[in-house]
Amino acid sequence: MMQQVAEKKKPVIELKNIFKKFPGVTALKGFDLTIYEKEIMGLVGENGAGKSTLMKILTGNYQPDGGSYLIGGKPETVTDSLDAIRKGVGMVFQEGCTIPNLTVAENIFICHEEEFKQFGMVSEKAMQKAAREMLQLYDIDIDPGVLCNKLSPAELQMVEVTRLLWLSKFYNHDNPVLILDEPTTVLLEKDVKKLFNILNEIKKHATIVLISHRLEEIVEHSDRIVVLKDGDYVTEMMQKDAEISNIEKLMVGRGLATEHYRESEQKVPEDDVVLEVKNLALEGFFDPISFTLRKGEILALVGLIGSGKEELCRCIGGSLRATKGSVSVEGKPVAIQSPYSSIRHNIGYIPIDRRVEGLATDMDIAENINMLVYPRLKAKGLLNSRKEKENAEYWIKEGKVKATSIRMKCVNLSGGNQQKVILAKWLSADSQILLLDHPTRGIDVGAKDEIYHRIRELAKEGKSMIIMCDTLEEDIGLSNRMLIMKDGKLVREAECPVENKPTPLDLIDSIV
Amino acid sequence: MNGNKETISQERKSPFINTAIKRLKALYTKGSASGQILSLGIVVLIFTVGTSGRYLAISNIRTILGLVGIPMIICLAMHLVIIMGAMDLSVEGVVAIAAVSSGMLIHNSRTMIDVGIWILPIVIIIGGIAGMINGLINTKWRMPSFITTLGISWVLFGLAVMISGGSSIRLLDVRFQQVIMGNFLGIPFLFIIALLVAGVLYILQHKTKLGKHMYAIGGNETLAKQAGVKVDRVKIMIFTITGMIYGIAGLLLVARLNTAQARLGNNLLFPAMTAIAVGGVSLSGGIGGVFNAILGTLIVVALNNGLVLMQVNPYAQSAVNGIVLISAVAMTIDRKKIGIIK
Repeated sequence: MMQQVAEKKKPVIELKNIFKKFPGVTALKGFDLTIYEKEIMGLVGENGAGKSTLMKILTGNYQPDGGSYLIGGKPETVTDSLDAIRKGVGMVFQEGCTIPNLTVAENIFICHEEEFKQFGMVSEKAMQKAAREMLQLYDIDIDPGVLCNKLSPAELQMVEVTRLLWLSKFYNHDNPVLILDEPTTVLLEKDVKKLFNILNEIKKHATIVLISHRLEEIVEHSDRIVVLKDGDYVTEMMQKDAEISNIEKLMVGRGLATEHYRESEQKVPEDDVVLEVKNLALEGFFDPISFTLRKGEILALVGLIGSGKEELCRCIGGSLRATKGSVSVEGKPVAIQSPYSSIRHNIGYIPIDRRVEGLATDMDIAENINMLVYPRLKAKGLLNSRKEKENAEYWIKEGKVKATSIRMKCVNLSGGNQQKVILAKWLSADSQILLLDHPTRGIDVGAKDEIYHRIRELAKEGKSMIIMCDTLEEDIGLSNRMLIMKDGKLVREAECPVENKPTPLDLIDSIV
Repeated sequence: MNGNKETISQERKSPFINTAIKRLKALYTKGSASGQILSLGIVVLIFTVGTSGRYLAISNIRTILGLVGIPMIICLAMHLVIIMGAMDLSVEGVVAIAAVSSGMLIHNSRTMIDVGIWILPIVIIIGGIAGMINGLINTKWRMPSFITTLGISWVLFGLAVMISGGSSIRLLDVRFQQVIMGNFLGIPFLFIIALLVAGVLYILQHKTKLGKHMYAIGGNETLAKQAGVKVDRVKIMIFTITGMIYGIAGLLLVARLNTAQARLGNNLLFPAMTAIAVGGVSLSGGIGGVFNAILGTLIVVALNNGLVLMQVNPYAQSAVNGIVLISAVAMTIDRKKIGIIK
């Protein structure tokens, strides 16, 4: 039956047996996909399932290593995003890719200004008029003369969508394909509704590929849902057959029961409280929050962007200053005013962007590991190179960093090894509490497992950790306990013992 | 991190007021010169009071307009590159080589050559080539523009000294000076030339693809590239145009003094930078335009003229200029944050 519905529509894009390899990982393994005209196709998969690689191949940012890419039945090579647009495939990024200091009209018609020439000169008026017509067509209320830095994320997305629609009209595509990557993450509730109204309008003469983590949205709005897993096509289903729990199982594949986050190594934390947060608040970001962290415990902070969890974590790590409340470490109240004070109280912060905040990438491994403990590496008042070497070598071994020499520049390490160096740095400084902000972001699957293992080991050694992960599954899998935040408030606390882990579905209500 | 706050504050009250506010905001940002007009007003007011009215005498206004011409042309040239988010420090070198070339090619005391008015296209080409070299090194070798242009400036200055033998060359054709120092309806001709340059650049900025792309690059180079802007080509062209205008400025300087020497270019960079910053052109690119460059130069020149009239110690004047530069940049950086980072 599924086949019948699909057959009524004409395919616009066909991917056949697409391969894409990166050093150490095969992102797409002989992937097949057909995208039909006038549909909203939902694309779901875990992080690392190959969604973004697939999108980059569609828009020409990556070239496939094998297989064929057919547009309208003809094999095509798409060289870059502009070429993709010329061939009828455009992508809308989460935050839009509008240029902030140009007006809406200038952004919509960028690189096609010549179409609006009057007496040999580009006419801003003509551009704005055309833009206004385009925007009205889809009932979008944005003034084309306004600078894009004055617009909300929702409006920026609309500008971007308008731009793609205009371009496809300009290049005579009767059924352009628009790819929207996580469009709703940055939107408010009412804007989400509006977005889908507009998308349904656009669908009458275009195809929309919708990528989203929010399965409810996908199920509600897509005509067809394609599930990806580990770089391979799993299955597809029509909207009426779709069920969230079913999709979830397909996405994860192995089911949630099996070992994926080294759950068997999870241990019950000790009773001593190492960190107590009392009524901590940062005005405008999160309301007073209290919780405790026990020795050897892994506590996950869960919430959407804007829930305040990042800021809470940064307040404890010292890079933000809380406006109210207190923090006690091992029973003693401490004043955390800067990263320096949190380091003094043995709190280590492993940031989300390792290359910017976590590591001095142009320095070598030894320098990075020793960074916080130089006072300890002195002899006769001066730094002692033997002590430096010993300390670095010890922690490289302890942290299982794979490197040819302690003098290797950190920029040359893989993501997983960089993360291990950062961990080693904090451990070398005797951190007892570690704040792990997305510790596995941008790390290969294999290296992820090593990081999970390391986290378990540290818990066993009695280190306490607050983690924020890339996916809810990872949060559930790794943690002993979860704190769910929403709109700056702590809304729920959930225990995650090994034998009785909650499922994402149990928690999603509190998160969204 | 402000994401949340921002979206909340964007919930609007009524569509009419909204569009009105939006329009006003757009107008303010596009022109973004209200602060500059105010500053100019304050400068004028202070010196008018300080000199008991002498400052606003017709003759002094004419002096100011005469003085403002060449710095304004330089400032206009330089601000193009700065809007693009790059930096062009080559002005002193380009002016030196253009000046020395003018001295050697117009009827003069040293060589037997006399190209007459054809010197204009020649200095434009010389400046253009210098600018193009800046652009090529910047884009093709991926060198930071401030290093590139500073280096080129010294190379050209050295060449200019070498060609001129380090001494000044007197022009024997005084017609250039007569024309340049003349008036049209009482307005100094130099100022009119500057306004002509400004007019041409206004059209470039607002009525051509090149101009739009220049702003796009200044706003966000990566996104501009993604949207299909030929970033390298635009950069090279803008550097070239800037160089061409520097060349014209070199010729004008020679004509004004009726003498050519390599040192004519000295001390042009700092006032131009100050004027650009004071005028509200964001040094990080993307914001500002011709009006900002004009107002910036007017403020700086009016300020210096006022200090002279009030007989302030010349050394103190240069200190004042330094302070003005720093405070102006502090202010424009702030404006940039409001404008873009949000």
